[in-house]
Amino acid sequence: MIISKKVEFSASHICRSPGLSNEENERIYGAAANPLGHGHNYVVEVAIAGVPDAVTGMILDLKHLKEILEEKILSVYDHRLLNREVPPFDRIVPTVENIAIDIWNRLERHIDATGRAQLYSVKVHETNELFVEYRGEE
Amino acid sequence: MTVRLARRYGFSASHRLHSPALSDEENRALYGKCNNPHGHGHNYEVEVTVRGQVDEITGRAIDIAALDRLAEEQILAPFRWRNLNAEVSAFQTEVPTTENLAAEVDRRLRAVWDERFGSAGPRLERVSIWETERNICQVSDYA
Repeated sequence: MIISKKVEFSASHICRSPGLSNEENERIYGAAANPLGHGHNYVVEVAIAGVPDAVTGMILDLKHLKEILEEKILSVYDHRLLNREVPPFDRIVPTVENIAIDIWNRLERHIDATGRAQLYSVKVHETNELFVEYRGEE
Repeated sequence: MTVRLARRYGFSASHRLHSPALSDEENRALYGKCNNPHGHGHNYEVEVTVRGQVDEITGRAIDIAALDRLAEEQILAPFRWRNLNAEVSAFQTEVPTTENLAAEVDRRLRAVWDERFGSAGPRLERVSIWETERNICQVSDYA
């Protein structure tokens, strides 16, 4: 069974690759390449898979999941300039694709460590019109 | 790394649900108010889900501007502010239900997909259409 929890953070980013010329960056990322940065209210849906406990009826205590999300994601990402303050975005472009992968990488072992569930999917909505889903290596 | 990226678009159009294979009475019974001979409209939302590899340099799984251009040209420009039954060729023979509309959007995108994104590029995984907040139909490249 799969259960999802939704959290939000607000952050700024600059979509520019040092491996590309200025013209290429502007062609690929458009307005998002603005070197001064811009921001979004990101919505993150974290889905975990497990079996409900026979006594509590819960896959995982959602307070516990909330604490993991607070500590590993929100405290790191919320109200930050991702390129400057959140590694690996000092080295790779903080596209919504790479943000979903990074959130997966930050969470996977902590969900495993609960012994109750595994991480199933991370969805990151950058706007109402655009979101990405990552389900780990396929 | 494989990710799924979804992009949402909207268009407004009118339609009438009426099957020429059924009698007027059967059409009324089956489609109810959607069979109104004058037609009616919706604000449709289309979500296009793409499955692709994240490029190491750009950090992108697909060129989103190219996807927007494709959606504009194949779906939004031909459907926006139109009477689907009268102005979209597929619906001169098929009933423009949400099911048939999702299948038509999928066909139109797929027809030019490989030419735009290459056969080794990102894949079109799913088309979802919201006719209203409560009526949603999806077509996927898997069963």
